[in-house]
Amino acid sequence: VEQPKPYFLSYAVADSDSIAMSAQFGAIVGANESRRRVADVQVRIGTAAQDNTHGDHRNSALTTVPLPLTDDGPALARSLWFATNRGYAKALDAYLKVKTDQQVRAKEEDGSPDFSTEKPATELLPSPPPLVVDRAAWQDRLRELSSLFKQYPDVFFNNVALEASTETDYFVSSEGAKVATPNHVARLVIVARTRAADGMDLFRAETFEADDVSHLPDQKTLTEKTIAMAKNLEALREAPVTEPFNGPAILSGRASAVFFHEVLGHRLEGQRQRGDDEGQTFTKLLGKQILPTFLSVSDDPTLATFDGVSLSGHYSYDDEGQPARRVDLIKDGVLDTFLMSRLPIASFSTSNGHGRSETGHMPTGRQGNLIVTSTKTVKDAELREMLKAEAKKQGKAYGLYFEDISSGFAVTTRRSPQAFQVIPLVVYRVYVDGRPDELVRGVSIVGTPQAALNRILATNDKQDIFNGICGAESGSIPVSAVAPAMLVSEIETQRQAQGTARPPILPPPGAAGTGGKGGR
Amino acid sequence: MNLFHKKLQILNTALCAAILFGTVTVTNTAFAESPSQVNDPLLHAMQQELDREKALMLPGMQRPYFIEYRLDDIHTYEAVANYGALTQEVANHQRIIRVTVRIGDYAVDSSSTRGDGTVELAPTDDNPLALQYALWTGTDAAYKNALRAFSAKQAALKQFQSAQAQPDFAQAKPVVQIAPLVTLDLDRNEWKRRIVEASGLYASDPDLRSFADDVQYSIANIRGIALNRYLVNTEGTVVREGYTGYNGAISVGGQAADGMRLSRDNGTVATTAKELESAAAFRKRYIDDLKTFEELRNAPVVSADDYHGPLLVSGDVAADIFTRLFIPNVEADRPEMGTTARTTGAYSSSYKSRVLPDLVSVTDNPLEAKFNGKALLGAYTIDDEGVPAQSVDIVVHGKLENFLIGREPIKDIATSNGHGRAAPAQAAHSRSGVLLIKADQPLSKEELNKRLLAMAKEQNKDVYAVETLGGELIPRILYRVKADGTRQLVRGAVFDELDNRSLRSGILALGNDPYVSNSLGVIPQTIIAPSMLFEEIGVKRATVEQQKLPYYAPPALPGK
Repeated sequence: VEQPKPYFLSYAVADSDSIAMSAQFGAIVGANESRRRVADVQVRIGTAAQDNTHGDHRNSALTTVPLPLTDDGPALARSLWFATNRGYAKALDAYLKVKTDQQVRAKEEDGSPDFSTEKPATELLPSPPPLVVDRAAWQDRLRELSSLFKQYPDVFFNNVALEASTETDYFVSSEGAKVATPNHVARLVIVARTRAADGMDLFRAETFEADDVSHLPDQKTLTEKTIAMAKNLEALREAPVTEPFNGPAILSGRASAVFFHEVLGHRLEGQRQRGDDEGQTFTKLLGKQILPTFLSVSDDPTLATFDGVSLSGHYSYDDEGQPARRVDLIKDGVLDTFLMSRLPIASFSTSNGHGRSETGHMPTGRQGNLIVTSTKTVKDAELREMLKAEAKKQGKAYGLYFEDISSGFAVTTRRSPQAFQVIPLVVYRVYVDGRPDELVRGVSIVGTPQAALNRILATNDKQDIFNGICGAESGSIPVSAVAPAMLVSEIETQRQAQGTARPPILPPPGAAGTGGKGGR
Repeated sequence: MNLFHKKLQILNTALCAAILFGTVTVTNTAFAESPSQVNDPLLHAMQQELDREKALMLPGMQRPYFIEYRLDDIHTYEAVANYGALTQEVANHQRIIRVTVRIGDYAVDSSSTRGDGTVELAPTDDNPLALQYALWTGTDAAYKNALRAFSAKQAALKQFQSAQAQPDFAQAKPVVQIAPLVTLDLDRNEWKRRIVEASGLYASDPDLRSFADDVQYSIANIRGIALNRYLVNTEGTVVREGYTGYNGAISVGGQAADGMRLSRDNGTVATTAKELESAAAFRKRYIDDLKTFEELRNAPVVSADDYHGPLLVSGDVAADIFTRLFIPNVEADRPEMGTTARTTGAYSSSYKSRVLPDLVSVTDNPLEAKFNGKALLGAYTIDDEGVPAQSVDIVVHGKLENFLIGREPIKDIATSNGHGRAAPAQAAHSRSGVLLIKADQPLSKEELNKRLLAMAKEQNKDVYAVETLGGELIPRILYRVKADGTRQLVRGAVFDELDNRSLRSGILALGNDPYVSNSLGVIPQTIIAPSMLFEEIGVKRATVEQQKLPYYAPPALPGK
C-alpha cells in the first residue's frame, strides 16, 4: 500500500551560543558555556483539515535532532534525513490513530482544521552580534552580589545567576518559507530565601533583562537592589501574618503586569479555546466586555524596548516562521481576538504571529510583550487616596498594597480550579486612619479571574515592566508584560498554607560568637 | 582599621588549624604527600564546619551520633560527532556535597535502605567560607530529615515481633589518607579530530562507501571524567581520593532488509587518556564495527526452531553475564525492615552454599590496580565510606563464602569489607570494585573450541558461540558452529534459560584468556572474566516486531 505523502514539512533550527554562571554565598557554584545547533523537524500527514496532530497527537509532528556545529553540508543533510524519516514514521502512526479516534468519538465542539493556511515568509535578517561576555569580570560581580547576603544571617539561601545567549533561528518549510531571525538576550536573576520562626518560607526574586550583558544595570544599581531585597526579607520574617481579607487593593505596576500575564494572557492563548480539556474561559466572550472600558490590552512582539527598557518578549518571526505583529486583544474593555499560532479555532482560522515554542516543543499560541494601557489614570498619590476611600466606604480598617507578586503556572484545564496562580511576595496594609503602612506576610489570593478583572476602578499613570521566562506546554520562552498599577475594589485573600520546618538551628558559619570562622 | 584587624584574625585562625590538621595527617601510606599539599583548603573547611555542627541540636531532641560530609569535585568533558561532523562539545566542572546525619546509635538509627542525606551545590571557587555555608544549610536540612525519619522508623519497628537483628551501621576505624589530586588530562583537539574522522568513514572510506546507504546512524564520542572525592566524618576519618576515566566509543547502526534493527556499539575505556587506544586502532575499530554491521545485515536470521545445547561464550560475554547475573547478588543490599532475609538478591539464602561450579572461584580486590599491565578502572584504596578496601574471596571453589559489603551490616557479615561505594552525589551502597573470575584448570581457547566441536559431534547438531552481547543479555555477534568448525554469523537471536541456575551447574570449562572489562559507569568498575563453555543454554528467535525500513533514501554522498 502506498503511504500518504506529508502535506507539510518544516525545519526550524536554533543555532545558539550561550553562557551561564551563578554564585551562592559569595562564590561561583557553576559556570557553563554551550554551543548548540538543534533542529525541530515537523512532519504533517493528511490534510490541513485533519492531520496527524489532531487532538492529543499534537506532538506526533515533531522530531528533534542535534545538528553539526560546523557547516558540513553532507552531515547536515544526513542528520535531517534521519530525523525526517523518523518523524514521518511517527506521523504515519499518529495519523492512523487520529482516524481511528474519529470513528469512535462523539462530534467535537470545535471542528476547526488542524493547520491554518498562511503566506510563507522569506526574509533573512542580519545575524546577531557574537556573544561577548567578560567571564572573569562577571564572575567577580556575581560573587560580590551574592556575598552581600552574608550581612543578613537569616537569609539562608541566595543565588545570583547570569545567563546570556545569542541565537539565530532558521525556518524553512515545504510551503516555501525561508526565514533567518536573530535573538539575543542577557538576564541576571537574584533569588533569596528566608524562613520565619513559625516555619513560613519567604522568598524574593529580582530579574534584570537586556539585549546584551553590557546593557544590564551597573553594579551599583544591582548592589542597591540586592540589599533592598535582603532587607525586605528580614523585614518579612518579622512581619505579622495576614488575616483573611476581602476588600480593595492596589497592585503595583509590576504586580499588575504579572497578574495580567497569568490571569488574562494565558487564557487568551488560542489553543485554550479548543480541546475537550481546556478551560475555554473566554471562548464565548468574544465581542463582549471583559474589562472596564478604560482598559485595552495588546500583545506586541515587534517592540524591542519600552521606555528604553529591553523587552524579553520581542521577536521578529515566530517559531512557525510567521512575522511577528501587534495584536489588539482587548479594545476598550471588549475582547477582540486571541493569541494565535497556526492551530485554528472556531472563531479564528489564521495565525497572528504568536506561534511560539522552546526548541524541542510544538509551537502554540503564546504571549510575547503583553501591554496593558489605561485611559483612566491618576497619580500614585491619588490612587492611594482612592484606595483609602474605597476601604472606608466598605467599612474596612485598611486596604492592601501588593508591591510584588510572583507568577505561578497558570492552570486553565477544566479539571483544575481556575484560580489565579500568582503568589504575593510583598504586601502592605494601607490603613485608612493614617497609621503607617504595615508589611504583612503569608498573603494568598483566592477567587476567580474574571471577577478581579471586572473590579478594576482606576490605574496610575506609569506603566511598569515585568520581564521573565514563562513555562507552558510549548516550553519555556522569554516574555514581557507591561501594565500600570491598578486599584481593584475587591480582592479576596487568605493565609497561605505554610511549611512547618524551623529556620536553621545554628547561626551561619563565620557569624559572631559561634566559634566557626572561615575565610579566604 | 577594624576590617584589616578582622582579616588578620581570620588568617591566623586558618593557619593554626592548618598546622593542627597537618599533624593529624598520617604519613604511612604510599600516597602520602608533602605537608604543604596536604593542607587542603576544602578538607579544612569541611572539618571546621563539622566541628561547629557538633553543637547541632533541637531542644528536647537527640543530637546526631554521626555526621559525614562528602564533597565530589567533578570535571567532565564530552564531545560527540555524527556523520563526520562535531555535534556536541561540553566541558563541565561541578562540586556537589552530600551531608549524612544519623540519629540514634549504631544499633538502631535514622537510616533507611535507600540511603539518606541532603545534596547541595558547593562553590567551584576555593572559598572555604562559602563551602561552609553550603555545608551548614545541608546539615540543618539533613538533621531535620533524620529526626523525622528516626521517629517514623521507631514507629515502624514497633509493628514487628522481633527486634531488628542487625545493627544499622557498622563500627569502623577512622582513616586519614590524602591522595594526590587527579586532573582531566585529554588532548581534546586530537580526540575531536579522531571522532569526527571515524564517524565520517562510512562515507569516505573506499571499503565502506559501497554500503554507506545502509548506515542510518554513525556516531563516535569521547568522554572523560576526573573526580576528586573529599570525605570527613565525626569519627575522625579524613580522606581525599580520586579517579579518572576515559571512554572513546563508537555506535553505528541501521536495519536489515527485513527491518530488523542492528547496531554495533563499543569502545576503548581506560583510566588515563594515554591508555586509550591509538588513533589507528580507533579508526580500525570503526571500520571493523561497520563491516560486522554489514555482515550482520546480510546474515541469516537464527533458526526458528528452539535450540538447547552447548554455548561457548567469549570473556567479553562472560563479563557481561556475570555483571548482570552474579555481581548484583553478591553486593549486600539490606532487605526491607522486618524481613528475615539476608540480602535482597538471589543469593540471599545461598551463604556457604554452592552458587558456581567447583572449578570456579571469584575474588573482588579493589587494591589490584593493574592486570596484565592494564590499569583497572574499578581499583581504589579507600572506599566512599572511608573504609580501606579489602580483597574479598566471594566464591571459593564454587561456594559462596562472602558478600561485598559497606557499612550497613547484614546477617553473618557484621563489618564493612571496604565495598561501600557511591555514585557522584549519591549515597554509598555495597558495590564491587575489581571482580576476578578464576578457574582451577583453565583451558586454552583452542581446547575450549575443541570441546565445543566434540559436543556438536556427540550430540549430532550444530552448536553456538557468542563473541559480544548487545545490552540485556542479548547476543549480538553470534555464530552457529558446525562440528567441522565452520562458523556462520546469525542475527535475531535471544538466549533462553541463561540464569543463576546455569551459572551454578551449567559451566563446564573456563578459558585461560581473561578479558578485562573496564566500565565507566556512575561507579567505575572492572570485571575480569575468561571464556566459558556452557553445557546447555537456549537460543531462540527473538519475537520483536520489525520496524519499517527508511521511507526514502538518504541524501547522496558527496561526489556520488
